[in-house]
Amino acid sequence: MKRYFDVDGGKFLIRFTIFVFSFFLFHPLIILAETSETVVTGGLSKQDINRGKRFFMGLLPFERNHESCVSCHYINAPDTLNWNPSAMDIALKFAGKDTAAFRQVVMEPSGRVMTASHVNFDISNEDLHTIKVYLDHLAVTGPGMQKPSINRLLLFLLLGVLITWALLDLIFFKKVKYKFIPVLIFIGAFGYQLSMLYEEAVKLGRSQYYQPDQPIKFSHKVHATDNQIDCMYCHHTAPESKTANIPSTELCMNCHIVVREGTHSGRFEIDKLVQAHDEGRSVEWVRIHHLPDHVFFSHAQHVGVGKLDCAQCHGEVEQMHIVRQVNDLSMGWCLECHRETQVDFVDNDYYKTFEALHKELASGKKDSIVAADIGANDCAKCHY
Amino acid sequence: MSEENKYWHILEEFEPIKDVRNPKGREEVVSPTSRRNFLKVLGLGTASAALIASCKRPVEKAIPYFIKPEEITPGKAAYYASSYFNQNEFCNVLVKVRDNRPIKLEPNPKSVITPNGTSGRVQASVLDVYNINRYQHPKKNRETIDWETADSEIVSQLRQLANEGKPVILLTPTIISPSTKKLISEFTQTFNAEWHQYDAIPMDGWREANNRVFGTNSLPEYHFEKADCIVSVGCDFLGTWLSPVEFSGQYSKRRDLFNGDGNLTKHYQIEAGMSLTGSNADMRIRAERADYGRILAYIYNQMASQKGVSSNDAPTPPQEITQKLDKVISDLAASEGKSLVVCGDNNPDYQVLVNNINQLLGNVGNTILFERTYNHFQGSEKSLETLLNSNPGAVIIWDVNPVYNHPESDRIKAAIEKAPLSVAISALPDETTELCQYILPSPGYLECWDDAEYKSGVVSVLQPTLHKLFDARQAQESLLAWLGDETSWRDTIKNTWTADYFPLQNEQNDPDRFWVETLKKGELVVDATPVSVSLNSNEIESSIQKINTEKQADGITVELFENINIGTGHGPLNPWLQEVPDPVTRIAWDNYASVAPSVARQMGIQNGDIVQLGNLTIPAFVQPGQAEKTISIAVGYGRKKGIPEELITGVNAYPLAKVKNGFRLFTSSGLNLTKTGGHEEMALVQGHQSMEGRPIVRESTLDKWKENPAAGNELHEEIKHHHTTLYEKHEYKGHKWGMAIDLNKCIGCSACVLACNTENNIPVVGKKETARHHEMHWIRIDRYYNGEEENPEVVRQPVMCQHCDNAPCENVCPVAATNHSSEGLNQMAYNRCIGTRYCNNNCPYKVRRFNWLDYTGADAIPNNRFDPANMTLDLSRMRHNPDVTVRAKGVIEKCSFCVQRIQEKKLTAKNEGRQLEDGELQPACQQACPADAIVFGDLNDPNSKVSKMMKDPRNYHLLEELHTLPSVGYLTKIRNKS
Repeated sequence: MKRYFDVDGGKFLIRFTIFVFSFFLFHPLIILAETSETVVTGGLSKQDINRGKRFFMGLLPFERNHESCVSCHYINAPDTLNWNPSAMDIALKFAGKDTAAFRQVVMEPSGRVMTASHVNFDISNEDLHTIKVYLDHLAVTGPGMQKPSINRLLLFLLLGVLITWALLDLIFFKKVKYKFIPVLIFIGAFGYQLSMLYEEAVKLGRSQYYQPDQPIKFSHKVHATDNQIDCMYCHHTAPESKTANIPSTELCMNCHIVVREGTHSGRFEIDKLVQAHDEGRSVEWVRIHHLPDHVFFSHAQHVGVGKLDCAQCHGEVEQMHIVRQVNDLSMGWCLECHRETQVDFVDNDYYKTFEALHKELASGKKDSIVAADIGANDCAKCHY
Repeated sequence: MSEENKYWHILEEFEPIKDVRNPKGREEVVSPTSRRNFLKVLGLGTASAALIASCKRPVEKAIPYFIKPEEITPGKAAYYASSYFNQNEFCNVLVKVRDNRPIKLEPNPKSVITPNGTSGRVQASVLDVYNINRYQHPKKNRETIDWETADSEIVSQLRQLANEGKPVILLTPTIISPSTKKLISEFTQTFNAEWHQYDAIPMDGWREANNRVFGTNSLPEYHFEKADCIVSVGCDFLGTWLSPVEFSGQYSKRRDLFNGDGNLTKHYQIEAGMSLTGSNADMRIRAERADYGRILAYIYNQMASQKGVSSNDAPTPPQEITQKLDKVISDLAASEGKSLVVCGDNNPDYQVLVNNINQLLGNVGNTILFERTYNHFQGSEKSLETLLNSNPGAVIIWDVNPVYNHPESDRIKAAIEKAPLSVAISALPDETTELCQYILPSPGYLECWDDAEYKSGVVSVLQPTLHKLFDARQAQESLLAWLGDETSWRDTIKNTWTADYFPLQNEQNDPDRFWVETLKKGELVVDATPVSVSLNSNEIESSIQKINTEKQADGITVELFENINIGTGHGPLNPWLQEVPDPVTRIAWDNYASVAPSVARQMGIQNGDIVQLGNLTIPAFVQPGQAEKTISIAVGYGRKKGIPEELITGVNAYPLAKVKNGFRLFTSSGLNLTKTGGHEEMALVQGHQSMEGRPIVRESTLDKWKENPAAGNELHEEIKHHHTTLYEKHEYKGHKWGMAIDLNKCIGCSACVLACNTENNIPVVGKKETARHHEMHWIRIDRYYNGEEENPEVVRQPVMCQHCDNAPCENVCPVAATNHSSEGLNQMAYNRCIGTRYCNNNCPYKVRRFNWLDYTGADAIPNNRFDPANMTLDLSRMRHNPDVTVRAKGVIEKCSFCVQRIQEKKLTAKNEGRQLEDGELQPACQQACPADAIVFGDLNDPNSKVSKMMKDPRNYHLLEELHTLPSVGYLTKIRNKS
């Protein structure tokens, strides 16, 4: 499963070094593994698989009136939102079924979305069979790793080259007439490298902008904005408990017992939920917002007592098709908010205990009480 | 500290002897660094560096419920009323359940029996459920079988035996469950079986004495709170006798000078070995164990002659004792009808004397009531004799272990092995289950349905709070299955309640509603018919005669006693109980022979020297206050079968018990004490925590207190005048948490230590680490002796982090991992701590604990793990409190005033828009304390109880001359010496 994770820069540097080491160590093994892969499991012929793959990718047939399969059903997750089931999704769904069933779904689409896109399909049975064979193979092997982007690493290396050149020129070649040029280049490049390292080091262990694929393409935008469902309908324990509650399968089925086709994704995604419900299991979501074990955060305190809006920490989730972690959830971010957020000091009788602060308010020494004034930034408020 | 009190803490201070406690010291950790080790470390280091560098954040799953149960809110605890019963312990509890797992037991404040607190054993019992050693499947001859096969085979054999007329014997512990009793009687009728109850430490002698004197073998209620004068002859009623949790509450009510009227009880303890109760007495009289009978006879005769009742000839105890006894007798006579005499011996003749003394004093009907009698301790030796002599066809052994804890275990063993059918129903393997053909695993009590009538008319329910972890079945369910009854056990109980108890109450009209309400409350109180008592004083003569004929054997008498934590033999499997030191000797993980200092000196015995007593070889411990000719040994240790190797400690002392005239007596006389020359290191936790010669525990007497409430605490005022500081004063604008501990009420039972263990995920470090003073308890109960080594006075002091306003630890932390909160807490951020231990070094109270090793499995590196008691298994970790961080190696930890509870209760108050109420917020130690000695609250609130206690003239702070300004205050101990 691909994660939209900012994987680059410093962390990647280290990983690159390790890769170089392990490459030399394991290279012979990799070659061995590649040669042994000619044997294909499940009695599928390699030829069929390749043909199916080519067909899926749109390389076959040469002339056609419809889109290629891959143009809608991606093999490796793209950067843009794609509502259609991926090749892997389809592969898994039809893994245990025969070509006839596969054919029926492809050629005689039932849902609204699918009917609209599967028009003018003219695929021979033989071709469908090879596609099925390819997908069955995919179901076993998986889509394979995607190459991570290395822009930041390249920049880092480029800066390194510049530094080397500047140093070499300063010490040995002395070709540049004005010494300040290599000195400036050295200082600039080295400074930028340092700042890159610092940024990466700070980000280590944090996952701002983390946006993983979920097992079901669940859109908060469709639910919370388009259909105006309140956050608290599903996350109903937020005002009273530490955790905000992820809705149980049963709760989803309150609506989806009726709603069986989505605006964007058609039936495929909702079918996954229905299947989970029929099989009596929970959907295993990928967790996005996660604090370390030594941090105790309570939704009840922030939502129930503090009356904070969900969006203050989670961003505008109701506008997201795929949920993404907006804030870095770092301690500095928490403390900053505590320094700014005013406490409902007058209406909530609990705060009567803080007599000294009430006096300060009355005397005008303070014009408002923020969370940090009542000790929200003490260590033991979150770490115990 | 008043002038006359000179405290010392271990015997070495009286007579310096070579410190042999830790001969090798630190060397043990140093392993030679060889080239090989170096390469190993290098390899591991490189590999882990590579791993850490290349690891991405793992993809974590968030899995919701399929169907969310209505009563469960993830992240929020639910509480269920239930009860704990084991031998002499009964507590109504609330089980705290987080995300379907019971994690803590709390006293049920609505209980009529134990509203104040629980015992330490109750606190620790939650761990028993998550015990990996439990039987996980039914077995036949050690092979796993399924329940259906086991049932059909057992039933057909039982039927056959019943047809052949061979006796089927059901051996159980004391059953106090009315529903179970009904079921058993059904079972005995159907299969023509005999039912016998067995107690590891029985009270059948006392029941017999009650039968002789009062015409009923019931065990009456004792009201220690009504007694002005308590005389206890070798009776540990605060620790282990009859109903200790209940008695602790009653006793401490009369030791209360803050709420009370200053009318303290006067407590005399006459005993041979130093017991927990004896160490709390106002006056302890040291007497030989062999003299108990004569002492009782002397008291009786003196009382009788005062009352003009004819006395009987009896040999008098030694003169130095009779001198002291005269004062006891005059005090008893002065508080007629308001006194209590108790004796802990199972000898019926002693108990006949005790009953007669109480009768003469008019206590029966006043402090001793037969209204609600106790239902536990039903076991009798005679019943066991029938088992041994009847040549049974089948033995069904249900959760008792006589092969381990009966002195004639060989006979029992033979009887079980001879029986054609032997079935053991037990949760855990032990010496007895090992012998049986069929082993039927039973679940822990937190997985069971049951009910309990501990006292007549006070009926409680037990409900499961956890789905059965293993393939286990309750014994009652087995009986139902064998009877062919398909009603579930829960429904059977419900039916009993509907039939028997529903008509006895008038609050509920609907039986279903009644059942639900009872489950909520956990307890039902119905009227009980008082047991009628008919007095018979003729027995006294024969009893005194028997005492007259007691042989005065030469040599040593051994007395066996029950340790407050380990109990009769269940405790060793629970590492928490093993690690809590004995409240008197402060030794954990072992039993030992307590020897009087004079004897030890004479024989050259030092702590840990192995001695021989009859067939028993056991390490000796020099115990101040021990009678010279008596040696005390705790039972319950030395379990070998069915217990993991690392938890096998101590020696089994049960074989020294004797069966005499049909009663099991826990003494053995005429033994010789010899040194074997061996030595064993014991885990003695006090000695390294000495507070040398400083006014740490302050005490005075009642008379002085009446004149001047600050008696013994004069220093407090004096020191106040010297306070000066360079540091800025902390400002507390909201709460300022504080704790007050009444040293007069604390009995030292260690319930607080175990409650703290459970609440705060305190690691277990094992015997070896404890011996090196690496124990991790956040609260400890220091014990100091005062006076002569023959019979010293004892004072105790629970010490936890004092949360100083001028905390010495805070100033020295280089990374500010420990600092001060705006609510007066000395907070500790584990994830910031780098383990310099400067704070530990700078703490004058030595309450900070360092994780020398990875005791919890919280470290990322598995090779770091040090787990002496299987506490890092996934199963054991299930009971961790999820609200408290599990600490890793290399960090300091200490008492946090249960900050997680503070946060929780504040949040509740905020959510409800109200101020926190005084007393609403209780740390785990206060909540568990059966004696109500700990009070926690807001010092900024002048009306809170803790503020008032802090202003009491008795209040002082530990080492207050250092100007650390602790948030914990102690109230001086006041002894009633009038």
